[in-house]
Parts: sequence; C-alpha cells; structure tokens
Amino acid sequence: MAKPKVAFFDFAGCEGDQLQVANLEEELLDLLGQVEVVSFREVMKEHSDNYDIAFIEGSCTRLQDEERLKQIRKTAKLVVAIGSCATIGGINSLRNDKDLDDVRKTVYGEDARLFDSYAARPIDAVIPVDAYVHGCPITKDEFLSVVKSLLLGKKPDIPTYPVCVECKKNENVCAFERGQYCVGPVTRAGCNSCCVNEGTICWGCRGLVDNPNENSEKEVLIKYGLTVDDAINKFKLYFGWQERKR
Amino acid sequence: MRVISKEDFAEFVNALIKDKSLNVIGVKAKGDKFAFGPLESASELRLDYDVTLLPPKKYFFPQRETLVTYDVTTGFAVPKAEEVKPLVIIGVHPYDIVALLHMDEIFKETKSDPYYFEKRNASIIIGINIQNMSKYCFAPQMGCAVIDYGYDLMLTDLGNRYAINIGHAKGEELLNKYAKNVTTALARDIQLVGQKKREILNMSKQKFDFSPELIPELLSKTYEKSGFWEKHSEKCLACGSCVLVCPTCYCFDVKDSTDLSLERGERIRTWDGCLLEDFAKIASGENFRPTRPTRYRHRYFKKGKYLYDRFGFISCVGCGRCSSNCLPDIANPVKLFNDMYHETKSLGVEITPAAEPSVEIQTEGNIDYVPKLATIVKKVSMTANETLFEIKLDDGSELGHKPGQFVEVSVFGIGEAPISVSSSPTKKGTFELCVRKLGNVTTKLHTLKEGDKVGIRGPFGNGFDYEFLKGKDLLFVAGGLGIAPLRSLFNYVLDNREKYGRVILLYGCKEPRELLFSEEMLALAKRDDVEFKPTVNWCPENEVWTGNIGVITTLIPQVSFDPESTYAVVCGPPIMYKFVIHDLKDRNLPDDHIILSLERRMKCGVGKCGHCQINQIYVCKDGPVFNYSKIKGVPEAL
Ligand SMILES: Cc1cc2nc3c(=O)[nH]c(=O)nc-3n(C[C@H](O)[C@H](O)[C@H](O)COP(=O)(O)OP(=O)(O)OC[C@H]3O[C@@H](n4cnc5c(N)ncnc54)[C@H](O)[C@@H]3O)c2cc1C
Ligand code: SF4
Ligand code: SF4
Ligand code: SF4
Ligand code: SF4
Ligand code: SF4
Ligand code: FES
Repeated sequence: MAKPKVAFFDFAGCEGDQLQVANLEEELLDLLGQVEVVSFREVMKEHSDNYDIAFIEGSCTRLQDEERLKQIRKTAKLVVAIGSCATIGGINSLRNDKDLDDVRKTVYGEDARLFDSYAARPIDAVIPVDAYVHGCPITKDEFLSVVKSLLLGKKPDIPTYPVCVECKKNENVCAFERGQYCVGPVTRAGCNSCCVNEGTICWGCRGLVDNPNENSEKEVLIKYGLTVDDAINKFKLYFGWQERKR
Repeated sequence: MRVISKEDFAEFVNALIKDKSLNVIGVKAKGDKFAFGPLESASELRLDYDVTLLPPKKYFFPQRETLVTYDVTTGFAVPKAEEVKPLVIIGVHPYDIVALLHMDEIFKETKSDPYYFEKRNASIIIGINIQNMSKYCFAPQMGCAVIDYGYDLMLTDLGNRYAINIGHAKGEELLNKYAKNVTTALARDIQLVGQKKREILNMSKQKFDFSPELIPELLSKTYEKSGFWEKHSEKCLACGSCVLVCPTCYCFDVKDSTDLSLERGERIRTWDGCLLEDFAKIASGENFRPTRPTRYRHRYFKKGKYLYDRFGFISCVGCGRCSSNCLPDIANPVKLFNDMYHETKSLGVEITPAAEPSVEIQTEGNIDYVPKLATIVKKVSMTANETLFEIKLDDGSELGHKPGQFVEVSVFGIGEAPISVSSSPTKKGTFELCVRKLGNVTTKLHTLKEGDKVGIRGPFGNGFDYEFLKGKDLLFVAGGLGIAPLRSLFNYVLDNREKYGRVILLYGCKEPRELLFSEEMLALAKRDDVEFKPTVNWCPENEVWTGNIGVITTLIPQVSFDPESTYAVVCGPPIMYKFVIHDLKDRNLPDDHIILSLERRMKCGVGKCGHCQINQIYVCKDGPVFNYSKIKGVPEAL
C-alpha cells in the first residue's frame, strides 16, 4: 500500500493545534513512516495539491473560505477537523453574539469594510467531515490515536459520554465541591479530564456531547451559586455554535 | 480481640511500608476529601475519614487494565505479568468490605476472572469501624455498617489505642510479624467495641420509611409505573458518576489500542456504566435502553432486583457515594425507594417481601480472554454486505461448538465482535461465520483475504438443545441475518435427518438480492424431506422473484403444523419477534414450543461486562437461545 499523503490547512484559529502536531517529535517520525506529509506550513515550505487526508484547523469565518474548503473536500479522501475552532466553532463563535460590524472594526480597524466576515462556524457546517480531533488545543495522544484509527480503517473512538466519566475514574475532587463551576457534565470526554486533574475546571473545549441535558446542567450551575447570566456565559465560551444549531 | 496503642500501630504501619515486598495502601486526605493511595508513612493515614472518593475495588478491578497483547506476526498473548506484590489495604470501612465480597461473587460466577483474583487473592484487608459517617451513608440500613467477616483485621478506635478483631490467619500473621506490643483485649475494651458498634448503627442521617427487605418486591411493582421513572430522571445528565463511584458496579468496556507500528497493541478493559448513552447500543443503531429514564431505571433494578434474583443479595451496601456524586441530586437510593414506597402505598397496594430467590451459582475454571489464532481458509461473498468466512483454528483443534453458539472474533488492531457459528458441528476441521458489514470489526473483517489471520474465543452461549428436539417437528423461522445461527442447527438436522420429524424453513429478507446462502436454498427447494418457503418484503422491478412477497409473518398461514409435536426455532432482527410469536400463538403453538435466539450488545461474552444483560439474564451466558415460556414475562427481553 502506498503511504497516504497528508496535508494540513489552517483557517481562522491560532495554529496552536498544528504546533501540537509539529511537537510530536519522536512519534512524528514513526508517524512519518506510515504517511507522507505533503503540505504543512508549520514545518515545511513546499506545498502540494495532491493529498489523501486533509487535516483542517480553524473555523470558517468568511464566505470566501467556503470555496477553499469545498476544493479541499474534492481533493481529499478523508477530511479531519482538528481543534475546537474546526470541530465545534470554538472560541471564534463567541463573537457570533456580538454585532459583526463591531467585531470587524475591532479586528481590522478602519479597513473593516474591505473584509467580509460572517458567523464563525465549524468545518462541518460547510463540508462533510470524516473525523474529528477535538480540543483546544488538541492533545498529541488523541491526534495520534485518530490517525492510527484512520490508517487502520477504523472509526476513531470518540466518546459519546461527558468529561465526568473520566474525571471520576481519575478520582478528582469535583470542581463543584471546591466552590468552582464546571461544564464537564455536558462536555464530550476524550481529554482524560486533563484540566480538572490539574485542579481547575472543564471549560467545555471539546464541545457538547451528542445529547446534553443542558437545562439540568444550567440548573446545577445556578444551584451551586452562579447567576443565570453567568451560567449562560459558561455555555457561550465554547458551545456557541452548537447551541445555536440545537 | 487484641489491643495495640496508637504509637505501636503507627510503628506497625511503618514496618509494613518498609518491607518493599508489600504494597501498602491506606486512606489519605485528598483536598477536603479522602482517597485510598500508596502510603509513605503512617502519619499520612486518615482513619477518621467519612468516605473515600473511589472504593478500594480500583485495586482489583482497575479503571484501565490490559487483558491481552497482540502482535500481527505472533498472535495474541497474556500481558507480561507485572509482579503482583501482596497488597495491604489499611482503613477499609465495613460497607466497602461487603462490596468486595459482592464483587468476588460476581467475578467468580460460572468462570473466574483471573485478572481480578490474581490481585484480590494477594490482598490483605485491614478494616476500620466507621468513626465519621458521610451524611449520605445508609450502610446501617443495608446491614453493612458493622460486620464480623470479610476482613483480615478490623480496627476500632478506642481513643489512645485500637482494638483489633482478627478475621483471618493472614491478618494474624501480619500482626505477629510486624507489630509490637499487641496485647489481648480486656473485658472493658471488648465492651467498648460493642458500644461503638451500636453507636455506628445509629449514625446514619438517611432513613428508609420501610424495611429495605421490600426493595426487590417494590421494584417489580414499579417497573412500568407510568411517569415514575421519567419524573425522577428528568434531570439526569447521563454522566455516569453514580455508577463509576459505586463499590459494587462492575461493568466494563473492552477496546483495542495499537501502537504506531499498527502491528502491535493491547486489548484494554475500562470501567463502563449503564447510565451512559451507548451502553446497550448495537452496530445496527438499535439501542436497547435508548432514553435516560430506561437507563436510570436499569441501575436501580440492577442493584435492587436483578442481582438479588441472580445472587440473592441486594447489590447496594449503602455507602452513599452515588448520592453525593450526583450533581442534580437524583441518585440517592433512599430518596428514590422512599418515594417508590409511598407512591405504591398510596395506591393501596400491599407489599410483602419477595420469595427468596433460588440461587444456583456454579463456578469452574478461569475465563480465557486470549483469543486463539485462526486462519481464514475461504471467503465467499454472499451479498453486497454479507460474506461467509470459513475458518480453521491454527492449533488444529476443533471448535467443538453446539448449534446456536457463537464465537468472539478478533481482528488485529480493531477489536472483537460476537458472531454466531453458522456451520453445523457435523462439519469437521473448519467452521463458518456469516458476517454482515456494519461497524469497525465487521467492516475490517470484510477486507481480509484468504490466508489472513483472525482471533477466536469461544464457543460461548448455551446453543440449541438439539438432543431434546430429536423426534420433534421443527419449524425454523429466520429473518435476514437470523439465518446465520439457525443454519448451524438446520444443517445439523439435515445431517441427522432420520432423527427428526418434519422440517420446515420459513426464511424472509428485504429483497431478492439480500438472500443469503442462495445456492443452498435452491438445493433445499428440490428436497422432498424439507418444506422450504422463502419470502421477500418487496421485489424491485429489475429483479426476478417467483416466491412469496410480504413480511415473514405472511408465510405462517401458508404452512400446516401440529402444535403438539412442533417446535418453532426463531431468529431475526429484534423487531421481528413480537409479530412472529403472536402469529405462532394464534396457531395454538404452546409457549414452551417457541425457541428464540436473541441479540444484545456484547463485550466479554462470558457474563462479566454487563452489556448484554436483560434483567437477571446475561444473554451471552444464559442465552443467546431462550425458551419463550421462560422469558415472556421478562421485561425488556422482546
Ligand atoms: C449472540 C450474537 C450472535 C451474532 N451473530 C452474528 C452473525 O452471525 N453475523 C453477523 O454479521 N452478526 C452477528 N451478530 C451481530 C454482531 O455481533 C455485530 O454486528 C457486531 O458486533 C458489530 O461489531 P462492529 O465492531 O462491526 O461494530 P461497531 O459498531 O464498531 O461495534 C463496536 C462493538 O460493540 C459491540 N457490538 C456492536 N453491535 C453489536 C451487536 N449487534 N451485538 C453484540 N455486540 C455488538 C461489539 O463488541 C463491537 O465490537 C451477533 C450478535 C450477537 C449478540
Ligand atoms: S469536576 Fe467537572 S467534570 Fe469533574 S466530576 Fe465535577 S462536574 Fe464532572
Ligand atoms: S477538561 Fe474540558 S476544557 Fe479541559 S481539555 Fe477536557 S474538555 Fe477541554
Ligand atoms: S450521577 Fe446523577 S445525573 Fe449522573 S448519570 Fe447518575 S443519576 Fe444521572
Ligand atoms: S448504589 Fe450508591 S449507595 Fe449503594 S453501594 Fe452503590 S454507590 Fe453506594
Ligand atoms: S449495570 Fe449494574 S453494575 Fe453495571 S453499571 Fe449499571 S448498576 Fe453498575
Ligand atoms: S456480560 Fe459481557 S457480553 Fe454478556
């Protein structure tokens, strides 16, 4: 079997996820034994338009992006969204709530008119996506596990249960018991509850589970002391696009 | 009873820690909470704790554990054993000790789980009587707050000293070897311990409004109560916390993980829980407990009824962890059962304790999680999505299956799936599997070629009682892929044709091109000792079909049979059973003349992982073949 050709693309995001991949170092070498990277701005200058697997980072934030995405979809056999911005709209969709003209002015200053911007959205709002590497930023382990699955012809194993499952297995003291507020009960697991393991909370970077009980989670946040507005804001940080769709 | 001063006890613990051949665990603070963890010094011990975050089962049934390693070139193997050091666990509360005894029963039923017992048998449990009780604890009501069995040593805090009850020789040896200044308890201390125990029984802040003995019976009266489960589970987050922290929950998931070579890897089991959305979901998309209320209900039934019916104990020790970990506060068994009691009472229903279940637990040998290497010797594509694989075990042995049994098939790097053996045991040397391409394992299997290797575990399940069926008339009813398990019996019967009465086969699928084993079917049509009627749900215009058109039940009126002498053997998609059974009963076929083969999500195949469970039944072990008369009253079965 010829090695699959792999290309990386970035849209609106911080490229933090490509950095994670570039940082794989040793494992990357092993991985390179299995695939051929033909386009990767983070580490190489060359670029090729002949690839099998496209990894896309960042949200789609402009109408013009859509054309580029459709082109990628036509070329690639598999499209993989990596990082929150690409998988769920991520932090980018925070601004969807604000007046877009204001956003443009803040971002582009007086030249705002020259740029056309619209509600930031995940890649699968524009083209079909075959696999997801969630997280903000993604973790090396999950990236590798998704790549391995794809190479083996297996559906990547992305949990349908929430972060609490991993958090309990890790025997953490629950954030709510520490006087903090957590959206782990509605957030898709897969990160091994890494933030809570470090003594903080889950912010929801992997997006909502497929069937979240949002009302109950908001009730819990309020029961433990958040105001209604703060509870809503907790959801907005990462769930903006998903909530809008629901 | 012995007594040891607290200073000497600390010395004892430090002496244990110093001995590097032991693994010494104790209760320590974790933030404002407590957890079992490795001890570096006796001063870390917090024996005044109320409850630990996770129960000590994590040492015997860890959150993540390698069951099997594999290598594409050499096959499957038991993971290289890390040296199992004797584990000394200090400070286990009585309810957690009872929970371990429950786990022992569960992990040893039918066949023992070697991974669990390897660690469990090498453990020494030093319990402590409860000093502070968590506000959610109701262990006293469950009879699990004070015990005189299950431990090696049991401590009671008497101020400046501990009283020590010796439960097992292992405990006594430990004391003799590592402790100094242990004295025999005087009458005063024995009395004091008795008094402490009585105090513990009154410590609980949770109260049942009725006797917990009634729980199994209460549950059976509430299974279908309209709105009850919906109301109580409305806020359920499906977060699984209530089951993950429970000392008696044992369900697990099994997954394969490969390294970057893609050729080597491990099969890992991890904790799973019935509250999670996909717990009972199968590859075709069917989910046997699709909603929060059904999963929420399952947990209470599992604890209060199913395991009671199977093992004779209520599988809750009253530790209260589920209650304290449920953020919307809906997982408290005391609250729920009290509500259930009052609602049932208010309807004027009399509740008396259920009859003692008759428990027949047998155990023999160990579970082997390691598949045997096998070769695909022949691969015949039957339809666009179904292929027949002929398989030979590499060690040259016979599979030795009964008709209706199944095997767990492993595909390297992907995982395991249960597949019925489709060939008759009369076929020697190889066996056949008829596989539909649906999810990961089955799809990858289709890409393998003749000569490629797979793994095989089994045969599993009970299979059809082909001896009993001798002399009877047999009516086979197969829907779609349901023909796969039935074919093993059907072919067996054909190979022993004179021993059976009439043989009728009704076989239906969606459209002609989905017909499985079409050549064999053509041959059947020519036989005069078999009555064969196929049907399709519809026939597209470009295909040819001369048989019946309509769902499988349309064939039933077309055959005559004597209800006295006929046994129906039925297998098909879950939706099919109700209709077929209804029509067979209409034809006066007695309930115990209907034999079914059921499908459920499966992971272990050996009655341990909990995925295939319907009430007290494990489909993988007690089934997949069931007599309808035995399961017709079992909710969720059909
Ligand atoms: C007793 C029994 C006999 C069966 N016999 C056959 C047969 O002869 N031919 C055939 O094609 N299929 C059979 N099935 C169904 C077959 O097991 C599933 O289609 C298969 O497990 C799907 O696995 P997957 O990895 O391809 O799918 P995925 O969706 O990737 O499933 C992942 C895992 O979930 C579990 N799982 C998913 N679906 C099922 C299911 N339906 N039943 C049990 N576990 C499931 C398995 O552990 C599986 O590996 C049988 C099932 C049972 C319970
Ligand atoms: S800290 Fe967050 S993720 Fe962990 S159990 Fe609590 S709510 Fe769930
Ligand atoms: S714990 Fe929450 S915020 Fe942290 S990585 Fe996981 S999903 Fe993201
Ligand atoms: S802990 Fe509570 S919310 Fe979570 S699954 Fe259990 S019952 Fe539902
Ligand atoms: S059901 Fe709840 S109270 Fe009972 S043993 Fe499990 S966690 Fe403890
Ligand atoms: S089925 Fe039983 S043992 Fe398994 S998770 Fe549910 S309650 Fe626990
Ligand atoms: S208990 Fe694991 S498959 Fe039945």
